[in-house]
Amino acid sequence: MLLQDENLWYKDAVIYQLHVRTFCDSNGDGIGDFRGLTSKLDYLQELGINAIWLLPFYPSPLRDDGYDIADYTSVHPAYGSLQDFKDFLTAAHNRRIRVITEMVVNHTSDQHPWFQEARSSRENPKRDWYVWSDTDSRYQGVRIIFVDTEMSNWAWDPISKSYYWHRFFSHQPDLNYDNPVVREAMWEVMKFWLDIGVDGFRLDAVPYLIERDGTSCENLPETHEIIRDFRKRIDLAYPGKMLLAEANQWPADVRSYFGNGDEFHMAFHFPLMPRMFMAVKLEDRKPIIEILEQTPQIPDACQWCVFLRNHDELTLEMVTDIERDYMYDEYAVDKAMRINLGIRRRLAPMMENDRRRVELLTGLLLSMPGTPIIYYGDEIGMGDNIYLGDRNGVRTPMQWNGGWNAGFSSADPERLYSPLISNPVYGYQAINVDSQRRSAHSLLSWTKSVIQTRNAFRVFSRGSIEFLNPSNHRVLAYVRRLGEEKVLVVNNLSSSAQAVELNLQMYKRHIPIEMFGRNLFPRIGDLPYLLTLGPYQFYWFRLRRI
Amino acid sequence: MKEVVIQGLSQAYSNLVHMFAEFLPRLLVMLVIVLVGLLVAYVLKTILRAVLHVTRLDRLSEEAGASRFLRMAALPSMTELLSRSLFWVTWSGFILIGISVLGVAGLQEQISRLFLLLPAIFVAILILFLGLVTANFLSRAALLAAVNAGYPSPKLLSWSIRFVIWALAVSMALEQVGVARQTVIAAFSIVFGAFMFGMALAFGLGGKELAREFLERNLTEKKREKHEEPQPL
Amino acid sequence: MAEESFLADDFLRQLMSVGEVDLLVGIPSYNNASTLAQTLQSVEASLRQNFVRERAVILNVDGGSADETRQLFVQSAERIDAGHKGLTSLRTVHRISCEYDKSPSQGLALHSIVAAADLLRARACVVISPTTTNLTPSWVANLLRPVYRQGLDFVAPLYVRSRFQGLLARDLLYPMCRAIFGQRIRELYSEEWGFSGRLASQCLEKDVWHEEAVRARPEAWMAITAISADLKCGQYFLGPKTASPTGTGPDIVEAIRQTVGNFFWCLETNQANWLSRSNSQPVPTFGPDHELSLDGIPPSQEKIFDLFRSGVSELEPILASILAQDTHAQIEAIALSDRSNFHFAPELWVKTLYEFAASYHHAVLNRDHLVQALVPLYRGRLYSFLLENANSSAEAMETQSEILCQEFERQKPYLIEKWTAKR
Repeated sequence: MLLQDENLWYKDAVIYQLHVRTFCDSNGDGIGDFRGLTSKLDYLQELGINAIWLLPFYPSPLRDDGYDIADYTSVHPAYGSLQDFKDFLTAAHNRRIRVITEMVVNHTSDQHPWFQEARSSRENPKRDWYVWSDTDSRYQGVRIIFVDTEMSNWAWDPISKSYYWHRFFSHQPDLNYDNPVVREAMWEVMKFWLDIGVDGFRLDAVPYLIERDGTSCENLPETHEIIRDFRKRIDLAYPGKMLLAEANQWPADVRSYFGNGDEFHMAFHFPLMPRMFMAVKLEDRKPIIEILEQTPQIPDACQWCVFLRNHDELTLEMVTDIERDYMYDEYAVDKAMRINLGIRRRLAPMMENDRRRVELLTGLLLSMPGTPIIYYGDEIGMGDNIYLGDRNGVRTPMQWNGGWNAGFSSADPERLYSPLISNPVYGYQAINVDSQRRSAHSLLSWTKSVIQTRNAFRVFSRGSIEFLNPSNHRVLAYVRRLGEEKVLVVNNLSSSAQAVELNLQMYKRHIPIEMFGRNLFPRIGDLPYLLTLGPYQFYWFRLRRI
Repeated sequence: MKEVVIQGLSQAYSNLVHMFAEFLPRLLVMLVIVLVGLLVAYVLKTILRAVLHVTRLDRLSEEAGASRFLRMAALPSMTELLSRSLFWVTWSGFILIGISVLGVAGLQEQISRLFLLLPAIFVAILILFLGLVTANFLSRAALLAAVNAGYPSPKLLSWSIRFVIWALAVSMALEQVGVARQTVIAAFSIVFGAFMFGMALAFGLGGKELAREFLERNLTEKKREKHEEPQPL
Repeated sequence: MAEESFLADDFLRQLMSVGEVDLLVGIPSYNNASTLAQTLQSVEASLRQNFVRERAVILNVDGGSADETRQLFVQSAERIDAGHKGLTSLRTVHRISCEYDKSPSQGLALHSIVAAADLLRARACVVISPTTTNLTPSWVANLLRPVYRQGLDFVAPLYVRSRFQGLLARDLLYPMCRAIFGQRIRELYSEEWGFSGRLASQCLEKDVWHEEAVRARPEAWMAITAISADLKCGQYFLGPKTASPTGTGPDIVEAIRQTVGNFFWCLETNQANWLSRSNSQPVPTFGPDHELSLDGIPPSQEKIFDLFRSGVSELEPILASILAQDTHAQIEAIALSDRSNFHFAPELWVKTLYEFAASYHHAVLNRDHLVQALVPLYRGRLYSFLLENANSSAEAMETQSEILCQEFERQKPYLIEKWTAKR
């Protein structure tokens, strides 16, 4: 039982997402590496997170931020050696921090030896590892994901004189999962990392593994079959390891990736994220409630992953046109802030550096059902640089202190993989870990305490959620419940003070205890419970029956 | 003899003088009372006139159509009428008090009876006035409604209403003054009863057709009429 | 002494929950359970399609319905909300309901609506009648948009009219209001109209809500208040209008008592404003400024003429006290003329109306009676109109209408003379 519970670690996790390149440079080459990351593990432990999600660190031509992998089983030399990774893993495990890595299963780089062989001739044994065609008219009508850069899902290969299939960039040919040899090869890759000790994989772009004529080539039953196969092998040989799905789909469609608890352990809840931003701007709880009401139940051992920001753009694929226009107008007036169907900005600048709103959103994230992911830098309120092209604006070096290169690297500033944020508001002199550590009231200190509070109560990670529907629509209130543990969360989504009357008849005679200050509030009686909230204020109450 | 005559005369003279001496102050008192009464009545009249002016009684009576009747009867305006009656009622009250001061035996009793009647008279005037106003208002409302709805003989209806209310007001006023109480009530009952009987006869026998038409209109024609006339809005 | 609030605690609580809004849709109701759901759907569809981002509230003000209109309003709200996956408004569309009185009154209903608009700081408001059965989402948007986006303060509707429909407005209310207040608003008395929050606040401050003239038809008073305060008025063409078979409009007597009574009252209360105005200005109009459809059967006319003739003779003393001798004589003369040659000239009609208005001002008799005394004369004018326009084209009717309007404007000094004369 205890062991089984331990295997559900991902349900209680608070995940910290980072790219090794961006975090800390130990050898002064201007690029972050594993040794640097290892040296910052104490900071992460102090923050209270208990899992790290690493973005791809494999050898790669880096034309898609490492998602174009050229070798699955080693580490990009700029980030260190495989041994460095192993050392990092051990150090993390010593601090009870799990490590989740990226597994880009759908495609490789066109520089990968597999593809090099496959394209060399039509007779090559690896030819069938990729999807080839003599025409570019197969699978017509399949949507193009990177609408800003790609014209077609087919690309012409001048060497073998035929077309190959790619759902993302044309330098990322899709692997052919109809070929059992490919599946075996990929399982070998997974085994390689699981043997080293990695705790889980985030499987990239899973809906696109299999192609079939006359379909959208997304979410096909055959794709699920492949995932079930991987999952079965993992459960048998590596119990306690976790699979996380990246499927940017509506919750009802993502639901199938949990299967009957025999596919993914976790999946991202993509549509919720933009709606949290929307709700705060609209000052109305409707978007959040609506999307969570549309969210289906998932198997007991499964969990949603929720996040505010990540290394990609704030994706607006899972919103209606009206909602997208609204998000653009409110959060990305400047066209430079937009990319594909999304907004390339960080949390703090989107909130106009308003600490109250940053806290409200973080509070929402940490009190919603699901495993929260915190994107590196957001815990101190880092800014972005929308003029850096692609999504590099949200991938600038971590700001450790106000000194040389923000404490990120000892290299010449010109040598850094990316310029630091240096404007007076978000620059590293103003916003950095060191200065925030010194203040008990900094965003960093606040984030620590709120993560601590969350970690202390399992009801946040495992409890059910029940929305209260007070007539004041600017207040979002819900009760999280796990057995006898009950937590009432009340959020004021508006920029003005609000009064709200909550119907708490189910919790009559309970005493609300405010969770950050541990103060008692008046006992819940027969009348609706009246609360007043300042602008963007929120409360977490433990409801105790004493 | 002469003595007796002189004595008688002097007696009479002294009596006269005595009487005068006794009567003159009373007369003076009476005159003073009457004068004061005149003053008081005048002041009251002015006050009432001002008050009525402020409350726009004239306009009310004009609206109700009572003024037209006053004009027809060559009477002054409603305000004037009321304030003048108040003047006269008050002054006559004072005159009566004055006369009673004279102490003429026998007169005393009559005066006090008259005196008691004064307020009743004033109230009676008021009732008559209100009756006049109400009768006009209601009869005109009925006339307009009947004309606009196209009922037959609207004037008859209007006059009937006016008549009934007048009869009621007059009898109430007379009752108030207390003149032949029984007779008035009996007379009103007879008049009213006769009127109702007449109406009943008119509708029941003479105007059987008319009555049916009247009812038909009331109950069924409303809808038809709407179709006849174009939707106004 | 604390002033008595006419807003119920429960209503106030609902308003507090709603908070500040951009748009307010007011739906006065009285036993409208049969059509309310449809109206609500149109309103919500309109908000979804046109104002997805705006904060909106739909407010039902009920006059003591006995048929569960209010419950229906709340319940259907829940039903409609579920399951709109595609096009949906971003925010919660609030639905609140209150009972302003136990008996229906458009005036008191509007009082609650403007109070809510003021408290919620709504920028644009619209009143929608649940008796209009062909209400489309675009109506709601068209009445709201000029207020919300173009900054107008009052938006009257314009309808396609059949030739013989709405003649009271065509022959009396529109031209008279146009001449007196100088703004060419065609439909002053309608069941749908839009207004700004600013106008709502100004109206709320006026202490007129218990006046008999405002109780029944408050909308023209609102327009005239806007004109008097130099706020911007406009009109929006909505298309044909059909009323619910259950909600029968008022008959001619009632219509005149309500509208003309209200209009004369407005003259009285706003005299400071219009006495100095001359000429008239067109108002911003969205869509054609009128449209006549040529269908519609001419109503039977004999009866109308009989009612005119009998009215003139029966009401002789009353008319004599209202009209000038000369005018009265002319009317008596035409009442005696042959019905087929009958003609109630615009000039005489205008003069008649102005004398009525002045007599109303001087209160020569009870004002309600005075307005009722106009009914037979209106019938005469109506008869004349129908006689002359039995086969007219739409353009011809419009030209005639314009001539009448100009006659009203030409004779306005006569009205002022009569109005200001000492009696």
